[in-house]
Amino acid sequence: MNDALFSQLSTLGSSVILLYGFTLLWRKSLHAYTVAFQWQSIALTFLFLIIGYFGHDVELYYVAGFLFVLKVLILPRYLGKLEQRFPGERESRPYVNVATSLVVAGLLVLLAYAITRPLVLVSDLPTRGGLPLAVGLIFVGLFVIITRKKALTQIVGFLVMENGIALLAALGTYGIPLIIELGVFLDVLMGFLVMQVFVYHIHDTFESIDVDQLNELRH
Amino acid sequence: MIFFLLLLPPLVASLLALLVRPHREFVGWVSALLSLISLGAAITIAAQTIAGDVPIWGLTINSLGLEGVLRADSLSALVLVCITAVAALTLFLSSGVGRTTHYDAKQLRRYQIFINLFIAAMLLAVSANNVGVMWIAIEATTIFSAFLIPLTIRKTSIEASWKYLLLSSVGIGLAFAGTVLAYFDFVARSGRVENALNWTTLMATAPLLHPEVIRLAFVFLLIGFGTKAGIAPMHTWKPDAYGESPAPLGALMSSALFAVAIYAIARWKAVTDAVLGSSYSNNLLLTLGMLSLIIAAFSVVRAKNYKRMLAYSSVEHTGLICLGLALGPLGAFAALLHLVNHTAAKSLMFFLVGNIERAYRSPLIERVHGLLKVLPQTGGLFAAGLLALIGLPPFGLFISEFALFRAGFALNQPVLMGITLVLMSIVFISFIVHLNKMLYGAPPEGVITGKADRLWNVAPLYISIGVLVVLGLTLPAPLATLLKQSVEIIAK
Amino acid sequence: MIVTGYVLEIAQVALALLLAPGLAGFVRWLKARFQNRRGAPPWQPYFELRKLFGKEVVMSNNASWLFRVAPYIIFASTVTVTLLVPMIVAPLALDGMGDLLMVVYLLLLGTFFLALAGLDPGTAFGGMGASREMTVAAIAEPTIALAIFSLALSAGSTNLGRIVTQELANPAVTVSPGHLLALAALFIVTLAETGRLPVDNPATHLELTMIHEAMILEYSGRYLALIEWASWLKLTIFFTLLANLFVPWGIATTFDPAALTLAVLALIVKLAVLGGIVAVVETRVAKLRLFRVPELLGASFVLALLAVTSSFLLK
Repeated sequence: MNDALFSQLSTLGSSVILLYGFTLLWRKSLHAYTVAFQWQSIALTFLFLIIGYFGHDVELYYVAGFLFVLKVLILPRYLGKLEQRFPGERESRPYVNVATSLVVAGLLVLLAYAITRPLVLVSDLPTRGGLPLAVGLIFVGLFVIITRKKALTQIVGFLVMENGIALLAALGTYGIPLIIELGVFLDVLMGFLVMQVFVYHIHDTFESIDVDQLNELRH
Repeated sequence: MIFFLLLLPPLVASLLALLVRPHREFVGWVSALLSLISLGAAITIAAQTIAGDVPIWGLTINSLGLEGVLRADSLSALVLVCITAVAALTLFLSSGVGRTTHYDAKQLRRYQIFINLFIAAMLLAVSANNVGVMWIAIEATTIFSAFLIPLTIRKTSIEASWKYLLLSSVGIGLAFAGTVLAYFDFVARSGRVENALNWTTLMATAPLLHPEVIRLAFVFLLIGFGTKAGIAPMHTWKPDAYGESPAPLGALMSSALFAVAIYAIARWKAVTDAVLGSSYSNNLLLTLGMLSLIIAAFSVVRAKNYKRMLAYSSVEHTGLICLGLALGPLGAFAALLHLVNHTAAKSLMFFLVGNIERAYRSPLIERVHGLLKVLPQTGGLFAAGLLALIGLPPFGLFISEFALFRAGFALNQPVLMGITLVLMSIVFISFIVHLNKMLYGAPPEGVITGKADRLWNVAPLYISIGVLVVLGLTLPAPLATLLKQSVEIIAK
Repeated sequence: MIVTGYVLEIAQVALALLLAPGLAGFVRWLKARFQNRRGAPPWQPYFELRKLFGKEVVMSNNASWLFRVAPYIIFASTVTVTLLVPMIVAPLALDGMGDLLMVVYLLLLGTFFLALAGLDPGTAFGGMGASREMTVAAIAEPTIALAIFSLALSAGSTNLGRIVTQELANPAVTVSPGHLLALAALFIVTLAETGRLPVDNPATHLELTMIHEAMILEYSGRYLALIEWASWLKLTIFFTLLANLFVPWGIATTFDPAALTLAVLALIVKLAVLGGIVAVVETRVAKLRLFRVPELLGASFVLALLAVTSSFLLK
């Protein structure tokens, strides 16, 4: 009974996390992206707490704490500063339009289901049902990076992809060893800071944060 | 203990550069001298592994899994020597170390901080026993190098570093997903064991892992680390990044970082082969290797910028190394030897290219004429390096490519080898054509002759050429043993 | 027993027909209250129907037989759907007649004829309304099918009555991700198909902003009464689907009078609650520009797709 509840909760949580990822393809304003990322990270924190509770793993509580501090507090605050610095930037004409992006994203999730079939069969953890959703989120993050024009959107896409990988680790193995997890967080933080610095540079040199403008380097 | 001597010098150098404000020249000198300590440590480690010892170091803090966190076997030792050698060369030939520089103090300080951090991260990646630590270190290299590419901020360098940053981060993310999948399989099999993420544990339990999961994991890992190595079709950041970065960074990225990425792929290949048998990974590496060769060959023909041309040459050699890894133990031997040779040759070329660009103030091939007249030593070394890169004797790359072909024919792949030969000759011809354009003719207006060409600037590079010639004439016994031991690790 | 079943079906249709105008009026009244107006009383639509049935029909000279026949077809198809939707009793006596796909086809039949009727008199607004309606229907109809299909997957049958009984037998399935996703998708589609904000404003009098109203601009008298009644009935059907497929408790599984009374009361309560939710949503959101409607519907399509995938692969 406990296992069934655990399974339901983890699948539900993973679905919510994946749906916030879809928001990146649906909405167009950068503020919406920041909010979606923040809520996705909150859901991810809860999921870590749930897995820690049902899986009897105290380490995951610490991981959830770090995740909360990093992805719900620190990163969205920096994203908010970026937003203020570049107000009114909207993803108004992405390379693939909204309706098509949503359909492609749905197909990507189907693809994820197909690819992760061996994983689901191999595992006997109660959380295995959410594995395809985690891989689907990774694909959706990749899709956002490829098809969006604004540098800020690409950054949020990268962060969402990292969330997907963390979700994969949580569902598949109840998280990876604490030290590694901390190192990963540190890397994500540093990566984000670097990207942030670059967005300022891009704006200063190109007078826009449209990645489309970055086309001087030809053959 | 030896690991401290390996890892601490670059960290200390970086710290020094951080603390000294404004930047003074002695920082560069200290940094260069410290790199020699690292080099010594790497050579000692290599000597130990040749003798059969495997240095291990770890902290015993329970529940943190740090026992045996640093471990250097023969493969690690090989790559460590490559990295530290190039690092030493880089730091001695850096701007601001006994030469005129067009960078200001702020840029030099940033350069010294990050390049040492970059070197330290690479060394950590190769000496880590833990797969996760290796991943963290490689991700760190992306971040540190991203700070260095736009040392002079202009449109093209920002564009190059943004593309590099994004592509590398995505690639590394995928590699992490692959790592998680492999760990997932391990946990599904044996439950959560301490040190489950160590190479030694993975290799030991490999026969028990599930083939389907490892198949999927390897694809992610190959794409992820392949992005770092520059395997086509994930190589698109290479021409931009190499074209825009300062010469020393280009040298480090194209030889040392490249070696680290190949190291990661080779290690994971060993684990995958233990689970699936070698045909699966061989097929994947073969396909990607051939793709890299094809794309590189045709890109070199169309190259207009000599720095980007070197990047495409890198992609070509990446293809050759992948091919080698896919051709069994003989091929693996050839691939590793090729890696060593390529490290020496590519780093040499990038330093020279830095000189050339400073003299001619343009990265375009058509603007460079009369290299031999303007910079005789640089020009001569450039010619030699280019001939080495296309695999002419008496340079080492000829030997390693020959070994590669031998491995290919031994495994009954004449068609594949034939195609490879054709592609390599396309590169051969294009390089010779470009080289001719650059070496001879009358120098264009306003080019300063001889300034960057003093012996002091170029002397260390004679060492590189020397190494290439030595490796082209003979295979020193210690190196041969090291290579043989490394092949044992990655391909049985 | 079977006779009682058929009698109940007829009673169900009568109940639906009776409730439909009241439901529409209730939603309208709630919206008015939210907007700080007195609003017409909730039973105003009944008076409208009585008024319209008494009025004379005025038709354009360009209209063909289609114009005269369409209201009857629309009304009949919508009433037939009522026979197949579990409102107060599940399983239904006429279950063998049709299932989920039949429901979708019948709804589409109604929409199709409405669009044709809009085109028939040759007016500009009618054509505009018809083309807009088809844009919406093109994405919304497959979404309905997919959303209910995901429910069918976990119930093991596309028969709507069976879906409800299976859910009653296995309550845990109502909070599974597949069901929740299907609920979200179906809710968005309900707003689209019944012509509510943010897709279409039912209270607008500006022709250029109309979708549904534009198609029926030419109608008058008893034809208009039938079409309006049919559209209110469609609203009732969608609300019933939302209520009984996702929150099935209260529906009668036996024929005894107590259970039936409870079922009728439960239905009225659920419809009122849903009406309240829709009124709140309509008051809060602004109408979407037409080119953004496919984005919204695309999102609901993907939700439905995900619902099917989760139901299919997470069994």
